[in-house]
Amino acid sequence: MADIKSLEHPTLKVPYEILNKKFRAAQKNIDREVSRVQTAGNEFEACLQKKEVTVGEVTVALDSMVEKLKMLKRKADESISEELEAARMIKRRVDHLKEADNLQDSARPLWQKKRLDRMLVEFFLRAGYYNSALKLAQHSEIEDLTNIELFMTSKAIEESLTRRETGPCLNWCYENKSKLRKIKSTLEFNLRTQEFIELVRNNKRLEAVRHARKYLTCPSEEQLPDIQKVMGLLAFPSDTQLTHYKDLVNPDRWNDLVQQFRQENFKLHQLNSDSVFTVTLQAGLSALKTPHCYKSEASGKNAECPVCSRHLNELGKELPYSHCANSKLICYISGQPLNEHNPPMMLPNGYVYGFSALETMAADNDGKIVCPRTKEIYSFEDVEKVYVM
Amino acid sequence: MESCLAVEREIDKVLSKFSGVRDHMNYTIDELIKSAENICYELSNGTVDRELTATQSIILNQTVKRIKEAVCRIGSEHKDLHSTVSKVGKAIDRNFVSDFCAVAKEGAFEDESTRNLLSEVVCEHFLRQGKLDIAEALNEEAGLNIDESQMEPFLELHRILGALKQRNLGPALRWAAAHRDQLLEQNSTLEFRLHRLQFINLVRWGPEKQAEVLQYARHFAPFATQHAKELQILMGSLLFLRQGLENSPYAYLLDPIYWDELCDIFTRDSCSLMGMSVESPLSVSIRAGCMALPPLLNIRQIMLQRQVSGVWSNKDELPVEIDLGKDYRYHSIFACPILRQQSTENNPPVRLVCGHVISRDALNKLSTGNKVKCPYCPIEQSPSEVKQLVF
Repeated sequence: MADIKSLEHPTLKVPYEILNKKFRAAQKNIDREVSRVQTAGNEFEACLQKKEVTVGEVTVALDSMVEKLKMLKRKADESISEELEAARMIKRRVDHLKEADNLQDSARPLWQKKRLDRMLVEFFLRAGYYNSALKLAQHSEIEDLTNIELFMTSKAIEESLTRRETGPCLNWCYENKSKLRKIKSTLEFNLRTQEFIELVRNNKRLEAVRHARKYLTCPSEEQLPDIQKVMGLLAFPSDTQLTHYKDLVNPDRWNDLVQQFRQENFKLHQLNSDSVFTVTLQAGLSALKTPHCYKSEASGKNAECPVCSRHLNELGKELPYSHCANSKLICYISGQPLNEHNPPMMLPNGYVYGFSALETMAADNDGKIVCPRTKEIYSFEDVEKVYVM
Repeated sequence: MESCLAVEREIDKVLSKFSGVRDHMNYTIDELIKSAENICYELSNGTVDRELTATQSIILNQTVKRIKEAVCRIGSEHKDLHSTVSKVGKAIDRNFVSDFCAVAKEGAFEDESTRNLLSEVVCEHFLRQGKLDIAEALNEEAGLNIDESQMEPFLELHRILGALKQRNLGPALRWAAAHRDQLLEQNSTLEFRLHRLQFINLVRWGPEKQAEVLQYARHFAPFATQHAKELQILMGSLLFLRQGLENSPYAYLLDPIYWDELCDIFTRDSCSLMGMSVESPLSVSIRAGCMALPPLLNIRQIMLQRQVSGVWSNKDELPVEIDLGKDYRYHSIFACPILRQQSTENNPPVRLVCGHVISRDALNKLSTGNKVKCPYCPIEQSPSEVKQLVF
């Protein structure tokens, strides 16, 4: 269960952030409709205050109030349904995580496979492999358990940014205004700056100045130098060779914006900058990594060992080794642990194997032992016990 | 488990409170609408140009006031739910670890080449499962350039295994025949076992296939020396062809367990023939990682509290021992019981004359002059008598 505690924070936190967002949107909706009813009420009261008011006027005013009430009911009902749907999403995920605790041994591999698939979907999404992510999620029926939706919205925005459109991203900034302010995001500022640069690039300098006046005039202290620098661009041709300004007109800045958007979006949903998959894989490789996996001679390697496999070996190169204060010995021949039931035995050449494996080999070969690593031949009687504390 | 339950409790509260607010709101508004419409109805009895009476005016005033108040309450009722919602978030933060990145090496898997390696590992992982469409999608999106010839062996194995699970031996038999020499080299009994099952399948048909059965028995010729005993059993089963194998002493040959066993053997032998591990290395590593992360996070927490900065400052080794269990041991690791260090090429394990094993460095530290006493038993010896070991 400890692994769930350590690994599943984003599984629950992301839908929670969605619920939270839905709540705020719902409150806004309800407040707006409530105030409409209130205004209608005030108008109605005003209407009653008038002298010599006719029944006809009153019924019209009353009808409009009823209309507003119905509107409020519909809007509030819709909003709350959406909130409930978001809450149920969290519930479904909790239920799935709870399953892990009462698993039969036969069901455990399946759950673990699903977990790996969930991790991979997130890894794909982060890497931008949307198609693969969708296919995998559909295939293992984990759409509900992964944050696909979140990444799909961000995909659309990222694509618009690579097309050099700021609109969708600005919209997103507007939707998440308060949260972005809280994390002191500079994304909106950078978007506006980029728009300014594009205007200069297209030689619409007057428009650029107007744009700057409109959007870049309320900077915080830190942004002032940036603004000064970017305004300096006005004095140069758009194909300037001055490195200082050349950077500004570099189209790669759009990619920076994509990256920044991605990071802010993660932060907003409390996602870490690394995916669960890579972190877990690193921990796993480290825990499995032994000096044997990196010895030059092939005999030290074990085809079953993940760290010895070609690609993972390369990936694990920079990671720390596992820590080992107590000996953990296995028999080179059988892969079985060496302990009091299968004591380690030394051949005269110093190579150590398990008693059971040597015994079987001797029984099959008239009491002769062939060292599998040096091919030397010994008699079973020459084998000596070793004691490992 | 407790952590899940804590979140569940809060989310259940959210669900019930929101449903409650919705029902209550619907009810209140319906009531308001109804009363307003009633008044409307009463008013409309008569001509429209009539003036409002004083009583009617008072009633209307009251109704409007009531509506305004009720509506105001609806807004605040919904607002009050905020604390219920935020409690869910708090429960999640309290019960789950939010920042697990600190135990990883920052950006270790970020640069282009490692990213590609990683994608290749994942791609292979899916190929092993026979999920060609996902592997292909990834291949394309990650720009991996794995061509069909590299994918084919994985897919072939997967197809054969699929057929075996459907109790179809054909593809497996063809594969085994094609790789006969390699299989024999690694002492594999795969091909014999395949033929044996096929043979039993024929025997099941009873006397009508007698000729075919005898014909098929010729396939066993190459295995005669190695599997003499099993062959005798198989031929013995022919005696009961007429009355059916299930009523004979050979009924055990029909046990479906042979099929499962064969699937396992096929996976094992074919993987080792191709130099692959039986299980996907990715699955194994991730399982190991899931076991390793909690203790690593724990130790980081403790080290933070004690203000020992930089848990990972020792880049060579993890700060704690992580016991993954015996299924995850692939190499023998000897840790010197005296120095509590893993043996290395420069500090190999040595066996003392009495049989106890310590490391070379420990031996050097323990020896005085030309004598060393075993730290575990009273035997004294010369350091030159020890024997270097390879586990």
